[in-house]
Order: sequence, then structure tokens, then C-alpha cells
Amino acid sequence: MPEQRADLLQGTLDLLILKTVLLGPLHGWGISKRIQQLSGDVLQVNQGSLYPALYRLEERGLMSSEWGLSAEGRRARLYTLTRAGKRQLAAERAGWTLFTGAVARVLEAT
Amino acid sequence: MKGWLERLRRTAESSSRRRRMEAEMAEEFDFHIERETEELIRSGMGAEEARRQAVLRFGGVERHREAGRDARRARWAEDLVRDLRFSGRTLARDPGFAAVAVVAIALGVGASTAIFSVVNQVILRPLPFAEPDRLVMIWEKNPEKGWERETAAPANFLDLREQVAAFQDVAAYEDFPIRSVLTGDGEPTVVGVASVTGNFFDVLGVPAALGRTFRWEETWSGGPSVALLSHATWRDRFGGDPAVLGKSVVLDGQPHEVVGVMPEGLDFPGGASELWVTAGWDAESRSAAWFRRAHWVRPVGRLHPEVSIEEANGQIAAVMAGLEERFPATNRLMGAGATPLQRFIVGDTRTALLVVLAAVGLLLLLACVNVGNLLLVRAMGRGREVALRGALGAGRLRLARQMVVEGAALAAAGGAVGLLLGWGAARILEAFQPPGLMAPGPITLDGRVLLFALTVTAASGILFGLIPALWSARAAPADALREGGRSGASRAARRATGTLVVLEVALALLLVAGAGLLVRSFERLQAVDPGFEAAGVAAMTVVAPGARYDSAEKRAAFFQELVRRVEALPGVRGAAAVAQLPLTSVSWTSDFTVDGWGERYGSSVAHRAVSGDYFGTMRVPVLGGRTFTGDERAEGPLVVVINETMARRFFPDEDPVGKRVVYDQQAGPESTWRTIIGVVGTERQAGRLAAEPMPEIYEPFPQEPRARMTLVARTAGDPGALLPALRGLLKEIEPTTAPHDLRVMTDVYDDASARERFFMGVLLAFAAIALALSLMGVYGVTAQAARQRTREIGVRVALGARTGDVLRLVAGQGAVLVLAGMALGLAALLVAGRATSALLYQTEPTDPLTLVAVSLILGGTGLAAALVPALRARRVEPTVALRAE
Repeated sequence: MPEQRADLLQGTLDLLILKTVLLGPLHGWGISKRIQQLSGDVLQVNQGSLYPALYRLEERGLMSSEWGLSAEGRRARLYTLTRAGKRQLAAERAGWTLFTGAVARVLEAT
Repeated sequence: MKGWLERLRRTAESSSRRRRMEAEMAEEFDFHIERETEELIRSGMGAEEARRQAVLRFGGVERHREAGRDARRARWAEDLVRDLRFSGRTLARDPGFAAVAVVAIALGVGASTAIFSVVNQVILRPLPFAEPDRLVMIWEKNPEKGWERETAAPANFLDLREQVAAFQDVAAYEDFPIRSVLTGDGEPTVVGVASVTGNFFDVLGVPAALGRTFRWEETWSGGPSVALLSHATWRDRFGGDPAVLGKSVVLDGQPHEVVGVMPEGLDFPGGASELWVTAGWDAESRSAAWFRRAHWVRPVGRLHPEVSIEEANGQIAAVMAGLEERFPATNRLMGAGATPLQRFIVGDTRTALLVVLAAVGLLLLLACVNVGNLLLVRAMGRGREVALRGALGAGRLRLARQMVVEGAALAAAGGAVGLLLGWGAARILEAFQPPGLMAPGPITLDGRVLLFALTVTAASGILFGLIPALWSARAAPADALREGGRSGASRAARRATGTLVVLEVALALLLVAGAGLLVRSFERLQAVDPGFEAAGVAAMTVVAPGARYDSAEKRAAFFQELVRRVEALPGVRGAAAVAQLPLTSVSWTSDFTVDGWGERYGSSVAHRAVSGDYFGTMRVPVLGGRTFTGDERAEGPLVVVINETMARRFFPDEDPVGKRVVYDQQAGPESTWRTIIGVVGTERQAGRLAAEPMPEIYEPFPQEPRARMTLVARTAGDPGALLPALRGLLKEIEPTTAPHDLRVMTDVYDDASARERFFMGVLLAFAAIALALSLMGVYGVTAQAARQRTREIGVRVALGARTGDVLRLVAGQGAVLVLAGMALGLAALLVAGRATSALLYQTEPTDPLTLVAVSLILGGTGLAAALVPALRARRVEPTVALRAE
């Protein structure tokens, strides 16, 4: 387990989940693993926030879920990005870029 | 109803949805942990250890579940269902409380719904005419005659119709109740007839349901007489046969051709229009002075679209000014104006109804405060429970919501019962409505009334649910628990209940005082001397059929014969005939002048023709001179009797007997002089006892012959028993006719104060409910306080306090609240009492006797309510009390 870990900024978990699901239907465990892998083990998702976040996103209509078969052929709940989710992802991504760029500029100022 | 079922279905669905959600969540979590375990095993961990690690990493399943549920938003609905169930349980545990609360709300909602349904019917519901907003009533006024909103002279109406550009058209109806005998197949029957101009229904915008309505030309005599049937008459008397068109109906001996049937429910001009005929004026009358002097028509105008009533009023004033210049003899100071038709029909009933609506609003508020207070008192009793639940983690909002949900449940039940009560009360109001108070037609619970009831219920539910909720949200659990351990309620809560009781007593005082003022006013009205003795008199109105009695002599003979035959009936002490019964209406009025007055003249003197010994029969006292002998002849000498009001007003310092009068402003060579031979007591003329009496002139029947007379007969026994004999006698003498009206004089007298009796009854009912509710409040609060002080009382008794001390201790607090409430109520009454003057007769809203009586009633009963728990507290056994809690 890597020593270096970052806590997730408030609100970024939703963005990460949406992005992860964009690539294809995925179950909860898969989502948490993929975020971990893609971030080079820097970001680790707390299960306590993962599932509520999934449910919240679904209630908001950004994702839909149905029971299907996982890659291993097991019954699992698979989450898919909805059209609204895609729009939301684009918007949040733009906002994130703007935000991080701004933070970086402030930090790099001499 | 549908919304309710829908909600119920959704609640059930949400609970099954919840169960499914829980199961799915569990499965999802299991899957997660298994996958994690597999991953760990693959990285080389032992199966057992991997499983342990996976569970550990996942964290508390329960916690995730809770968070998941929150995210699923199921919580709100779930809590609501739980609150409802909890409310149901707590209310069921205390059915007495629930019943009292539901009854209180039901009374408030029921009373206000009933009154609102009347207001809706009278004031809010649009008239059943096309574009009723454009319809106006035109009236005439004359400051000299004291006329305001009077009938118009037909000639003036015709000029207004032709000259006021603001009107698309103006129609008119003749403003006196016409009843005619309808003959044909079977028994002759009396029907209510309205006489209108030919364009009447065109102006109203009401087409005939069958056939056609009248044409303007038919306003005038000359053509065939035509009639329109009401839908009910057509259905009941003509079997709903369409072939009735073109048939002839005989009204008072005159054949009329039926040209149409009007739509169902149409009853205008109000009363009992069973048939409409045209006025049938003589076209030559138009230029006659009497056609401009006599006032008896009510013009109804239809404004052009987009034309304001102010504009119309301006034009009317200009036309009337022109008429005054051209016809000074008849139109001196004669003005006119227009009022929206609905406004006019409702008239001063509007103010009275709005006052009653305000009163019922107070009653509803009282009911809400009362239930709110009951809930609060109960919540104080449950202070510990509430505090405990708070300490165990129930959110404040959640606790407050529990109270609101409980209130809503009570409101729903109370509202449902209240709606039923309201429906029943509306039926009662309808049955007891005084004649002419309400627009004709049934009082219905239409959409607007239902919406009102629903709004009132919801608003009251929120109001009284909020009262305890506010308090329970404010109390800190620690305080409540500490205080709850001993004496239950926080000081803030106790202060709140006290304030509410003061408010209740104040509201009750306002309502009881309102009823008291009406009772007092009614008492004054009953003390009014009508000028005659109603008890023992039966009255029958008869119209001599025109076809058979076509001359004054024949009519005189007919009525004389009738009077003679009635006098001969067994038990009859005296009989006479009169053109118009007292306390019904004034048949006609005129100006007059007296020989020797020169330019001086009097206005608005009423006239009545009498035959036989009218004054003796009605027991109208003779104050001076003599009355008619019965030998008066049409050709003279012409004699009259005047009433006391006329004698006092116009002959204050002289004896009127022997003076000669003329029914005109100025005497001329053509004038008909009549000699005053006597003065009699004043009979009240108008249909309302509250109306001021008018100066009046009585003429002997042969000198003022009429086709329509009312027979009065005084009997030693029950006058009601005489009615069939009167009817039979008429049939014997003249089989082609029937009584237009047949009733005992005491009914006429009662009708003249029916309106006041009606409003008094309504307010008395309000007052009774208000009194009961406020007593409940005083009792509830005092009893609760006594319960909480049981221990203290026990200690005091143990230390030697006497009964009187205990009573003072417990009842004293209640007494203070009652007195404070009464002071507040009296203060409010002094400010707002003016509003009731519309309902009062010769009674000031600050009538001292009423205020004292009301204060005694409220104070006495209030103290009694406070004394009951005090008497119970007196019997507290010290040992028991000390062990309590």
C-alpha cells in the first residue's frame, strides 16, 4: 500500500465516479478500484462515501443502474452514465480545469 | 378524494420500495466484500485473513446503510409514515382528547363552511345571465321625498332607455309582487307572475329554452297578450309538453298566449316567478303626467362593452337634469343612478353577511387556539417523553414535525366531520332563511365552498399544530428533563398556555357579546308597537276577476258581500278589507297639500283603501274624530282618515280633523279635495318592523276602489282554524278565483322581524360554541396546572393549609386568566363593536346592560370551569401527593 495518499476534495468524488463510469458500465467495487488504479494508487475511495455518492448520483439522474453480470460472470449492480450525467461530467470537468488552473497559477506566483 | 388514494398508494409503494432497496443494498455490499476478498487472496493472503481485511476495509456496514438510505431520500417519507403511526397510537391512547379536538375543529370548520356557502351563494356566485358584469340596476332618488334607490317612473325609464348612450339597451320589470289566479283545467291556482318589458330577456341575455322570449313591441297593449312559462310551471302544470306553445292560459280571467318556456332555475325578478307577462302599457300613457309621477318600475340596463358604470352615471345625471327642466311638476329634484345588478340585489344583506362571516372567522380562530392549547397542554404532560426522545437523538425538527403531523391528523378528521356539519348547517340556514335575504336558489356546496373548507382545514391544522411545535422546539431537553422530573412543563410553556387561554376568553367574549347585542336589539324590536293587534286575526288576499267585475261598483259589491259573509262565520268577531296588510309593504305614496297651506306641501305619504270596520277589526285605536261608517259613496262627500304620525308631523299644533287635502304639491281648479274626518294610531307599513313608520292616509273603499284587497277577520278562537272556512267561502261566492294569499296575522308579524331573528339565531349558536370552547380551554389549563402542583398542594395540606387556601391557589390562576381575557375582549369590543351596528336595531354596540350581562356570563362560567379542578385538588391526600412522581 503506497505511503503517499491524498484525501479527496469535497465534491471531487462525484466527478471521478462520473468519469470512471463514462468508460462503460461498472459495479461499485470496480469503480473504487479503477479510481485507485487510474490515480496511481494515490486516491483511495472510502466505501462509506462511495455508495452514498453512487445512490445520490442515481437519484439525481446522472447515472442509472441495473442488475447484470460482472466481468467474472457474477450478479452485480452495474452503473451506467446517463445523458444528463455526460452533460454534467463535461460541465464539472470544465469547472475543475478552471479551478485547478487558477489554484496552480496562485501557487506558482512569485 | 383521488389525491388521498394516490398518496396512500404511494406510501404503500414506498414501503415496499424501501424493503427492496434494503435487500439490494445488502447484496451490493456483500458483492463488494467478496471481490475485495478475492483480490486480497490473489495478492497472496490467506482466505481467512483476506476476508477479515476486506470487511475491515469496508468499514461499518450499518453506517454505510444509513448513509445510503439518506442518499436514497427514503428517509423523509419513512419518517412521515412512522410519525403518522405514532400519532395514531398516541391519539388512540387518549380517545377523549382526540374526540374533543376533532369536535372543536369540526365546529369551527362546519360553522365557517356553512356561512361561507351562504356568502358564496349571495355575494360571490355570478348571476345566471350573460356577461352579468355589464348589467346594472337603475334607480331614482329624491332628497325631498327621502328617496334613495327607489323605483323609477315608467316615462323616465323610457327616456333613459332612449337617451343614455352608455347602454346597449335598458329593460324594466314592474316592482310589486303580482300573484294571479291561473284558470284552465282543474282548480284555479295562484301563481307568481312577473311583469316585464318586451326586451327584458334580451337585456339579461337569457334565451328561451323553448319557443321565444318577448319582443319590445309587446311591452305595449294592443297586440295579443303573451306569457312565458317558467321551467317548473311548464313541467308541473303542463306535463313538460312542447305543444304548450301557442296555447292560451287564463290569468285573472285574461287569456294569454304561451310563446315560450324559460330555462330551468331562472327566477328573476326574485321571489317566485312562475310566469312572465309583458307590462302591457298603453302607448298613449307615455305623454301623460301620471306616467312620470307614479314610480313602480325597476330598469335593468346592459352597458356597452368597455363602458364604465361611472360613465353611465354621468350620462344618466345629465338626462335626469334635462327631464327636471322639462317636467318640473313631476321631476323636481328627481335624480337617478346605476348600481351593478348583483350589488343591488344583495343590497344591505352584504354588510350583514360580512359581519357574520367575520364572526365565524373569530369562532374558527377560537377553535384553532383551543385545539392548539389542548395539544400544548398535552405536550406539557408529555414533556418527559419529548425530552427523552430528544436526548435519544430525535432531531428537534423531527420532534416539532411529530406535533405538526399530529395536528394535521386531527385537522383532517375534524375537517371531514366539519364538512358534514357545514352541509347540515347550510340546510338549516336555508330552511330558516328570512324572505328576501338570499338570492333565490339552493345553497350548494360547490367547488368554491369545498376549496374554502379545505383551505380553512389546512390553515387551522397548521396553526394549531404549530403552537405546540414551536414550544417543543424551543425547550432544551435538559431543562425539560429536569423540570419534567418534578413539575412537568417549562415556565415558557406554561406562560404560552396562559396566553392562549386569555386569547380564547377574549374571542369568546367578543362572540357572546355579539350575540348579546343581537338579543337586546331583537328585544327592542319586539317592543315596537306595530299599531294593531295581530293575535286572533286571519287574512285572505283576493283579486276580483277582471272579466266579471269590470266596474268599481261591481268590485265594491263583491268585497262588501265577502266581508258580510265572513262576518257571519261562526266565531268571527269582526271583518273588514284593506288594500294592503300592515307590515308587508306600502302600496303607493304621493305628495299632498292642505287647504290654506299655499306653497307648502308634504311628501311621501302612504295610502290605503279600507272597507268595513277595519280599525275596529285590527284594533287600531281611534285618537280623534271618527272613522268610516260604511255608507261612503264614490260620488262623495270624499273623506279620509289619517294616522297619528301624519297628524303629529304635519299638524303639530292644530286639530287636523275638518281640514281638506289634495294629493298633489299644489292645488289647482281640477283638484279633488278630501276632508279629514279622523285620526287613528299608526300602523307600521313596511315589511320590516325595524323600518320607521310613515305618515298615511286611509280612504274608504268605494272612493278608492281596487281589484285586489285583503280580508281580515278577527276571531275569538284560533285564527288558523278559520283559514279553510275563508277559502271555502270564497269558492262559494266566486268559483273562478282562489285566495292569492291566506295566512294568520301573527305570521305576517313574525316575518317582519324574520331577518333579525335569523341573524340572532346564527350569532347565538356561535356564542354557545364559543362559550363551550373557551370553558374547555380554561378547564384544561387549570386542571393541568393542578395536576402539576399535586405535590405542592400535598405539602401545603400537610402543613395545615385549609380548603379555602387550596381553592384560591388552584382556581386563582384560572381566575386571573379569565379576567385578563375578559379585559382584552371588552377592549376589542369597544374598538371593533361598530362593525355590528349593521345588524342592530336601536342598540349601541356598547350597550351597558349587554356588556354587564355578557361579562357576568363569561366570568361566572369561566370561574366555574377553573373551580372544578380546584375542588378536586382540595381532596388531595397529603401522603399520596408526596409519594406522587
